[in-house]
Amino acid sequence: MKRILVVLALALSLPLMSYAGETAKTLLSVDLKQEPFADAATVTNVPASTTVDVIKRRGGWVQVKPAGGSEGWLKMTSIKYGDAPAAKGESGWGSLLNVARSGRSGNTGVTVTTGVRGLSPEELKNAKPDPDALKKLESFPKGKSEGQSFASAGKLQSQQVEYLASASLTEKSGIGSFFNRGKK
Amino acid sequence: MKYARTLLIMLAVSLPAIPAHAWDLSNLNVDKLTSTLSKVKDLQGVDEPAEIQIGNGVAANLLGAAPLVKDDKLQAYVNRLGWWLAQQTERPDLPWHFGVLDSDSVNAFATPGGYVFITKGLLLRMRNEAELAGTMAHEISHVLRKHHLNAIQKSAQLGLAADAASMATSNSDNAYLKDKAISAGSEILSRGLDKDDEFEADRMGVVIAARAGYDPYGLPSVLQTLDAMNPQDSSLALMFKTHPTPQARLEKLDATMTGTMDKYAEQGDGKERFMKVVGEYAKK
Repeated sequence: MKRILVVLALALSLPLMSYAGETAKTLLSVDLKQEPFADAATVTNVPASTTVDVIKRRGGWVQVKPAGGSEGWLKMTSIKYGDAPAAKGESGWGSLLNVARSGRSGNTGVTVTTGVRGLSPEELKNAKPDPDALKKLESFPKGKSEGQSFASAGKLQSQQVEYLASASLTEKSGIGSFFNRGKK
Repeated sequence: MKYARTLLIMLAVSLPAIPAHAWDLSNLNVDKLTSTLSKVKDLQGVDEPAEIQIGNGVAANLLGAAPLVKDDKLQAYVNRLGWWLAQQTERPDLPWHFGVLDSDSVNAFATPGGYVFITKGLLLRMRNEAELAGTMAHEISHVLRKHHLNAIQKSAQLGLAADAASMATSNSDNAYLKDKAISAGSEILSRGLDKDDEFEADRMGVVIAARAGYDPYGLPSVLQTLDAMNPQDSSLALMFKTHPTPQARLEKLDATMTGTMDKYAEQGDGKERFMKVVGEYAKK
């Protein structure tokens, strides 16, 4: 247990839980690109179900390294995380908690399932109102100026972006053409 | 009796200006019934104060099912982020409230009028602020488009038309209507919205995140995390019951985002601040 805590403390003190250490499988045969763009040069073709280490994500692309191969970029939708069909749900801080709670992480499919209470459909439907909790909720910081200073502190700048129209999956753009590209 | 009931439903459907005295429903207060039915119809035009009241009631019920995480710093963080996101929308002046629920269940919720919740089970699976922003922006979008309110109105109208007679003998139609709406709202949280509402909230959520200065691929990234989880995991049960599959949502988002949102992909993911605040909480 002590060792786990040491590992946990170490892990928490490092810049971590990005994608480092996450593995994924390709969902289809795809071209590995030199850069995160559709028209970038192709490094190689990666067959379906290849296990890759995920290095980082940039927009809709992920930088990966297939076992024994060289690095390159894939569309994020062409991979699935976890290396088994019943994947682990091992990402973010949750995986750390799993280690802390169960003393193991990794390939066992152990996730945080204990203490899942109060949010089944029946429990939601039959819940009694909690006015004190509501009062507490309403006491949290609020208002435009809170949002504004949060943005300044995080160097966030607002942008003009139009809402997106719904796209049909059969259109020539998007996933249809992407999948075709991998198969040609 | 059967006739009377059919009549009531017909009344509810064909409401406009039926002269009340034209009918002889001896054991009912017909004037009252007519005024009650017109109130049922009024549910269609719920104004903003009523929308907030209904949402407030549904939120109180939700909090009865899952308490708030007791960490003021974490709660302040999601509220500040939420208010920044809300300022990028067409309803910046709603009294927005955001809360992290103390539940390992993996989910997020919205109720009408500006109440948005995320479980710690979902929060702790995220990698950065852009993922959190995208998820919260999805919930904010449900409020913007009044998805839950519309669903409440649909189900409440069906229910109310049927028991309009009992309402006609009650003295507080408004309180009755509000209670009805709130319990319908709680049921919708457990049953889910139309799939198209979810897809729409996804499409809007990525845009709101981009407007707020984030990498808009945070939401797809969260969906990918969910997609990788074991679908048998009990912490996912409610989310999977009430939403289209992560795979279907990812495919739709990919189709709409490719070529339109790529140019915002270089925007920040706010990872440092997320790690600091959420990491601090995770250590406890």
